[in-house]
Amino acid sequence: MIHDMIDIVREYWLLLLIGQYPNGPLGGLANTLILSALSIAIAFPFAILLAFARLSKYRALRWPVTVLVYVTRGVPLLMLVLWSYFLVPLLTGADVPSFFTMLATLVVYQGAFLSEIIRAGIVALGQGQMDAARALGHGWFGAMRYVILPQALYNMIPSMLSTFVATIKDTTLGYVINVPDLTFAASQVNNQLLTQPFQVFLILALTYYVICWSLTALTNVVERRITRRRAGLLAPKRPLPVSLTRNATEQP
Amino acid sequence: MTASASAPAQDQTIRLADVRKSYGEFAVLKGIDATVSRGEVVVICGPSGSGKSTLIRTVNRLEEINSGSIFFEGQDVHAAMSGRELNLLRSRIGFVFQSFNLFPHLSAVENVAMSPIRVKGVPAAEAHEKALKLLDRVGLREKANSYPAQLSGGQQQRVAIARALAMEPPVMLFDEPTSALDPEMVGEVLSVMKSLAAEGMTMMCVTHEMGFARDVADRIWFIDGGEIIETATPEEFFTNPRHPRAQRFLSDLRH
Repeated sequence: MIHDMIDIVREYWLLLLIGQYPNGPLGGLANTLILSALSIAIAFPFAILLAFARLSKYRALRWPVTVLVYVTRGVPLLMLVLWSYFLVPLLTGADVPSFFTMLATLVVYQGAFLSEIIRAGIVALGQGQMDAARALGHGWFGAMRYVILPQALYNMIPSMLSTFVATIKDTTLGYVINVPDLTFAASQVNNQLLTQPFQVFLILALTYYVICWSLTALTNVVERRITRRRAGLLAPKRPLPVSLTRNATEQP
Repeated sequence: MTASASAPAQDQTIRLADVRKSYGEFAVLKGIDATVSRGEVVVICGPSGSGKSTLIRTVNRLEEINSGSIFFEGQDVHAAMSGRELNLLRSRIGFVFQSFNLFPHLSAVENVAMSPIRVKGVPAAEAHEKALKLLDRVGLREKANSYPAQLSGGQQQRVAIARALAMEPPVMLFDEPTSALDPEMVGEVLSVMKSLAAEGMTMMCVTHEMGFARDVADRIWFIDGGEIIETATPEEFFTNPRHPRAQRFLSDLRH
């Protein structure tokens, strides 16, 4: 079994790594990594904007984004992928490569999830931090950038990490619209071998596991580094008497 | 009251004219008329829920009002203005919160230096140097690199005062600055506030510290049910309060 897997990797490593490239489009692991990285890199700032819109006092911003987030979160990703794949060319007449269809769908889908996490992180900080920043003369965006987001995003690292990992795993769904990624390459290998599906897909599973595990490890390093920098903040929380009195006596 | 109301406009740092605010049906402020002159220390006191905190938060527009006007150095705080103008206005009104609201992700010195750097564009080195001086002034220079979670409540509130002073405001507002503190920490915060008053800072303080009011205030506004029902010098207020509700308030305090 292990021997079979080693043989498969030895035989097909180039296909699994870069797909048909340079004779065809870039695919395989390389494309999976590019798709994942781009999805996360675009979904993250997009999600911050969505969260801002959800928190906005302007209905014209808040309502459409709320609808988008609810619909997106209530629909299976595969449906969205198929919709984008069939509807976008129909509506625009443009022939969009499946890679970009998948990228856009992932950005919207994971952006919606991520925006709720970020929004929760912002709301959880309470009004006091924003009030303090505004009282010092920071504008709304300045307060967000220098006061609210550094805290909210840091607090939400674990939840955001799950979404990032989910994004990587969700790139596999690109398979159904022929995005030439690692899953696609593995399925090509399987179609050629025909007799060893278990081995082929175990290789696939292990590869995804390593990618996702690496991201988790990387995030932990980043988190630890920030924690160390904010040493005082995350030393085991001494129950300061102040915090108790504050809640008990503070007026709204 | 009458003396300062008729004072020339340039001596009036803050002027409130028929300020009204309600949350739905509930009127919190029912027509506040008052002035604070330059260098004056006004203590606002009154029973809980009387609108003191709301009132002080309307002065730098953390709360909107429904009608009336508030003038800060002649400028109408609640007039329509651009975000930039409002930010500039707010940066000139120091505000100290009951719950400190220090930025927990920044050290004490960063808390103090951040806003001069980001709002006023002061060079970082200069802002840090000044922040250290301000921390020194509130007696916390050795805590410059501590984070808020490492400081006691009294220390946090003193950093918060330094943070407000860093913007060099001509007026400081205090919203129950000692109410969230353990009793043994109240003194250290009040003594910083006393020294500010002694240096001639214009101050509005919502506080229950009647000792502070007696020693430091130039005038006391007694507020109840959303109205200022008595303004007096501390001497008058504590020895001979005119309004029955003020009398009851003071007698309750003694028990």
